[in-house]
Amino acid sequence: MSAFIDARSVPEGTLLRPDLAIVGGGPAGISLALALANTPLHIVLLESGGMNFDAKTQALYGGSVVAAPFPTLDASRLRFLGGSTNHWGGWCRPLDEIDFEERSWLPHSGWPFRRKAIEHYFARAQSLCEAGPWLYDEAGKALLSVGPVLALGQGGVVTRWFQFSKTRDGVLPTHFGERYADDLKRVRNLSTYLHANVTRLGLDASARTIDELDVATLSGRKFKVKPKIAVLAMGAIETARLMLASNNVMASGVGNANDLVGRYFADHPIPRDTATLVLFDGKLAPFYQNNTGLRGAIVRAGMFPSENYRRSNAVMDSSVTIEDKAALDDLGHAAVAATAAALAVDSGNATAFSLGCGMEVAPDPDRRFTLEQERDVLGMPKLKLHMRIAESDFVNFRATLKELGRQLLAARIGMLRLNLKERGQWLEGLDWGNHHMGTARMHDDPKQGVVDANLQVHGLANLFVAGSAVFPTYGAANPTVNLLALTLRLADHLKAVLR
Amino acid sequence: MKELLTRRNIVIGAGSAVVLTAAAYEGVHLLRKRYAPSPYDDLLARLDNRDADTQIGEAVLADVDDFEAKLVAAQLRARLERESLTQATLHDVRDGHMLEAGGWVLPETLALLCALAAKAQ
Repeated sequence: MSAFIDARSVPEGTLLRPDLAIVGGGPAGISLALALANTPLHIVLLESGGMNFDAKTQALYGGSVVAAPFPTLDASRLRFLGGSTNHWGGWCRPLDEIDFEERSWLPHSGWPFRRKAIEHYFARAQSLCEAGPWLYDEAGKALLSVGPVLALGQGGVVTRWFQFSKTRDGVLPTHFGERYADDLKRVRNLSTYLHANVTRLGLDASARTIDELDVATLSGRKFKVKPKIAVLAMGAIETARLMLASNNVMASGVGNANDLVGRYFADHPIPRDTATLVLFDGKLAPFYQNNTGLRGAIVRAGMFPSENYRRSNAVMDSSVTIEDKAALDDLGHAAVAATAAALAVDSGNATAFSLGCGMEVAPDPDRRFTLEQERDVLGMPKLKLHMRIAESDFVNFRATLKELGRQLLAARIGMLRLNLKERGQWLEGLDWGNHHMGTARMHDDPKQGVVDANLQVHGLANLFVAGSAVFPTYGAANPTVNLLALTLRLADHLKAVLR
Repeated sequence: MKELLTRRNIVIGAGSAVVLTAAAYEGVHLLRKRYAPSPYDDLLARLDNRDADTQIGEAVLADVDDFEAKLVAAQLRARLERESLTQATLHDVRDGHMLEAGGWVLPETLALLCALAAKAQ
């Protein structure tokens, strides 16, 4: 077992020559390193932070946001080993088949492979998340004794299931840095450097190969890494920043010949108080509101548009969870009583609940990061996020909620109020999932994607990107288990490449 | 001991009960809120709570630009001659004929009846 290396103690001017350099010690970087354990490869993992939060390191994330509301760039992620799993909620759900498909009604959609290309890796990804056995949409049948799934009847919205990361001592969820630190230390072919900030990707003269990485610490120490292959696993924001800022050979940056790096940024909007759901009999199975244990897993029901509905109605993905009980105003009481009477059902025990929601947004090349003139203490240009959210994204999601309302009526079990309509209402109090995606999107065509199906940066022989930065579209599923499956697939590819 | 269940007493008791029942019925009728007659009263009779339904109807009308009450009433009459309000409601939701009232997703027939209640004010 070898200790992590504090980059601040590395002699100035040191040159490391690993087979593989992994830049970033978040879930993707850690999982990639573990997946390549005990191979003949000499691997270096470079993590900017240490084992815990440090304000000066976190400040390296500073940047600006313009246009639509979005959290400040240093607030929505964490810069120490484990990355943003240090504050994630542990929600897991795989993307659907449709998420991989090119859809004529959704510009820029289509992954370069189908879901089955990563299905093989889901079990291991699930295990890394410590999310228990792979149950997901099988959970409903197994939980019949706890309570019934809402009988929504035929329609576009169906009950589907989240699973949750869990870790020792019942603490939710798995913080990858803390959880896998000892595993990383046990990997004999891995050297993990903490406090090691990669500040430049050095292209060779041909601009076709990454020749070296510049590494700097906040204490002023500098050294270089010359890997055979480098993988950027820094999250969608920092990956774009490093590629754009490494512009001393190519003015547009690394891998950015087609001006795609930093574009198509996405997150999952979480509008607050989106809708109110009323159940006429007031009966709701507990797994809709609370995490529920099942066969060693933790599950919770949500409501999603079915894949068929999404295809036939040209709607993007979304998720709805049932949250706290809600009060009705006079109009609400009137609407419930009149509707129940018209349906000839009793509403004497009617109960209202607020809904939690997550939305998919359409890919947008103009939702992007650019470099600012201002630099951080390491000399890296700061980022500016041009945040946008299309009106059609809200309209699209509202249509799905309305379909849920229709289904509740058709099943004569309840009804729905759509609480938001105008754009200003949606934006007011809008929260985000902190699921950063899309800035190094994947596509077979270099003019449409930064990386190819193997996550290799187009036009560069030895640079890859791991993480949700490569997602071309985003679904409404929480990205972690999906990005891990992609990363594990990359590990297999790298094993073959470096054999 | 004097006989209570005489024919005379039974007749008086029964008559009194009829009078009291009629008085109670009339009293409730008199106490019920009265609405000005409207051209849609035959339709509005299908609603349970006129004030509440009027409130819903006002919310429906806020989202509808060109509500032609007479035309809507004629269409509703034709429909509700063929089927009950419950049947019409279920057919609405089956066919996706929905309207909103202050965000509440309502079956179209119910929403339009409520809108007529608001128009009848």
